[in-house]
Amino acid sequence: MSLLEIDALQVGFATEAGLVRAVDGVSLAVERSQTLGLVGESGCGKSVTASSILRLVPSPPGRYLGGAVRFDGADILSMPREALPAIRGRDIAMVFQDPMTALNPVFTIGHQLREVLALRFGLARGAARERSAGMLKAVGIPDAGARLDQYPHELSGGMKQRVMIAMALLCRPRLLIADEPTTALDVTVQAQILHLVRELQRESETAVLFITHDMGVIAEMCDAVAVMYAGRVVERGSVVDVFERPRHPYTKGLLASLPRPGHARKSPLATIEGTVPSLIAPPAGCRFAARCAHRRELDAARARRCVEVDPMLPPAGDHPVACHFPLDAGAPAGNSA
Amino acid sequence: MRWPRLDPITRRRLQRFRRIRRGYYALVILLAAMVLAVFAPYLAESRAIAVWYRGTLYLPTFQYYPMRTFGQAPPAGWDSADIEADYYRLQREWGTERILYARGHSAAGADPAALAALAAKYPDRDDYVVMPPIPWNPYQSDFWANEILNDIQQALDAGHRDDAEWLALRDGLGELAAAIRSGRIDTLLAAGKGHPKRTLGDLARTGAMVSLAGLGTSPPNAPDLRRRHYLGTDSQGRDVAARLLYGFRISIFFALFLVLTGQVIGTIVGSLQGYLGGRFDLVSQRLIEVLIAVPFLYVVIVIAALFQPTFWLLIAILSLFQWIAITFFMRTEMYREKTREYCLAAKSYGASHFRIVFRHLLPNCLTPLVTFTPFAVVGAIFALTGLDYLGYGLPAPTPSWGELIGQALQASNRDKLWLTLAPFGALTITLVLVVFIGESVREAFDPKPYARYE
Repeated sequence: MSLLEIDALQVGFATEAGLVRAVDGVSLAVERSQTLGLVGESGCGKSVTASSILRLVPSPPGRYLGGAVRFDGADILSMPREALPAIRGRDIAMVFQDPMTALNPVFTIGHQLREVLALRFGLARGAARERSAGMLKAVGIPDAGARLDQYPHELSGGMKQRVMIAMALLCRPRLLIADEPTTALDVTVQAQILHLVRELQRESETAVLFITHDMGVIAEMCDAVAVMYAGRVVERGSVVDVFERPRHPYTKGLLASLPRPGHARKSPLATIEGTVPSLIAPPAGCRFAARCAHRRELDAARARRCVEVDPMLPPAGDHPVACHFPLDAGAPAGNSA
Repeated sequence: MRWPRLDPITRRRLQRFRRIRRGYYALVILLAAMVLAVFAPYLAESRAIAVWYRGTLYLPTFQYYPMRTFGQAPPAGWDSADIEADYYRLQREWGTERILYARGHSAAGADPAALAALAAKYPDRDDYVVMPPIPWNPYQSDFWANEILNDIQQALDAGHRDDAEWLALRDGLGELAAAIRSGRIDTLLAAGKGHPKRTLGDLARTGAMVSLAGLGTSPPNAPDLRRRHYLGTDSQGRDVAARLLYGFRISIFFALFLVLTGQVIGTIVGSLQGYLGGRFDLVSQRLIEVLIAVPFLYVVIVIAALFQPTFWLLIAILSLFQWIAITFFMRTEMYREKTREYCLAAKSYGASHFRIVFRHLLPNCLTPLVTFTPFAVVGAIFALTGLDYLGYGLPAPTPSWGELIGQALQASNRDKLWLTLAPFGALTITLVLVVFIGESVREAFDPKPYARYE
């Protein structure tokens, strides 16, 4: 049994325009001490999937429409509310996207770390301070003891993100959810933070769910990867498989849009044309069909199938894909027309 | 719960507040006045602070002493064991003994027999009474100005010139005492052309003896330093200064208690509205709107008609309305703050709603609370004064500014300027001080000075 299993999760948001199905049947699994990357463009449901794991989707307007999130076999979505604090911060910890606002501005770093320890282990002040200082040192903050008495605004963004990571790791969680932990940081700091998470994960054997829209980060960090598009997982597999043999046109598009060494100077980067479809009334067939370059190469009958029939992700397999005509299925489909 | 340590921004705000001199000194003055008001029984009280009588120290603040203890003569028809010593009179009596003893001493020269007789006649010349700066309590009526000339007149008419002189000396009427002693009083009072024999009252009224001006009239009496009515007396002969002081004490503590309860309730309700939002917010907002529509003065009048208002009852009634204003600000602050990620972060490591609202969010929402509270105090003082003025405030003998203002505005008191100036002056000064403080707090909390475009 996997540590975390997300099974056909559906989350909707009630808006004035109608129900937005931000997550529409996502299935994922995170193995013990493994890192799973969840990748996709903005608005594809990555963060909602992540907050569903802690049942932190704001409600209203958010609503769980179906599916299950099983952590160690127990369904988080159906457990009584009183049982949640026992999981939050203990078994599962979360690092947030924006370190600038994720720390309370009126309390010192030490105070906030101490509170986590007090909530989690009931640790006394002195011991908590020692533990906090040790953890700050572990996440690479110099002069940790002095930092404890500082306020968030006295720290740089990278420092704050390190503090957030320290806060998450203080609880010794079994699963760490990192929701785009580096998007708000500049590139040099990004690399340090990624390295740090990798290092700490290896030491403590924590499972990590790493959420990002950056394929480069995924390649660096993860063992396995799941690609999301418009509230669905469209492709899943090991990093090597997905990166070297992408089967879904969307994945291929994402990879193609990365700048690479050897990319011809001044030639434009590849882009995926069009925008994500509305999730209030998603198209009947493949949600990517309208933007799919691959489909344009298909004959009319097969192209119509893309628009009319919803491709489902096969529940099993090493490298499942939700596409009627995956890219590695023999010769390019257009040739047979 | 631990008090959050002062963070650098708060510290800077405090420094900024200190640098705004106007507000800082207003705060110092107001705090000093409040401390003084707490010790009002040592500032304005008819009981002496200490009495030194024939080798023994008495502390009347802590114990009751009848007139007999100090050998003081009671008013006609009373027994000296039955009523409490009149310490202010005692002080003046013993002072008079000192004057007369000194006079007799220089007259007696070195004659031992005369000296011994003198010592026996004035046994209390070395006894002292230490009175508070204002030797009046706020409930005590003083009809001295109306009665003293009659007393002296009676003594004169009965031929007791020494007694008359004694009374004049005792009550600081030096010119009159000298006139009695020298006999000039006879010429002053003698019948002249066109008028019959005059009385002391006539002297006072006609201005024939300037130092008697204002005597022989009933209260309210003008300020009189001889009698230590620094701000005069009100229409029942009570000392205005003492009533102002006690009135200040009641007003300011009333306002502080009221604002404290109001702000605590308002902060809790407003915070929950903002944090919980949704149906709770909707319903409670409607209830608040209903409450706002209730005319507060009528409610107070109705309740005052049913119950005798007391300090705490009034606070309870006014609290019903006091808490509303701050809820709006706390509500919006919470609405804004709860969307910050640190709130979500706290939730993600298992903090309860209660903990998030009152430990994480509230410290971030204190700015409106701090800036509005001084102005709420102004409002509360004004509310109590207004209610007292209308007669729906604290019951009758309670010293209050509103009641003084009410007296001042009566048609018959329009020319008694001290009655108008004293309460209005005190009210104005207090409110200006509080406004200065509030304004400076607001200025110190204003983020603009930190980020100004050049």
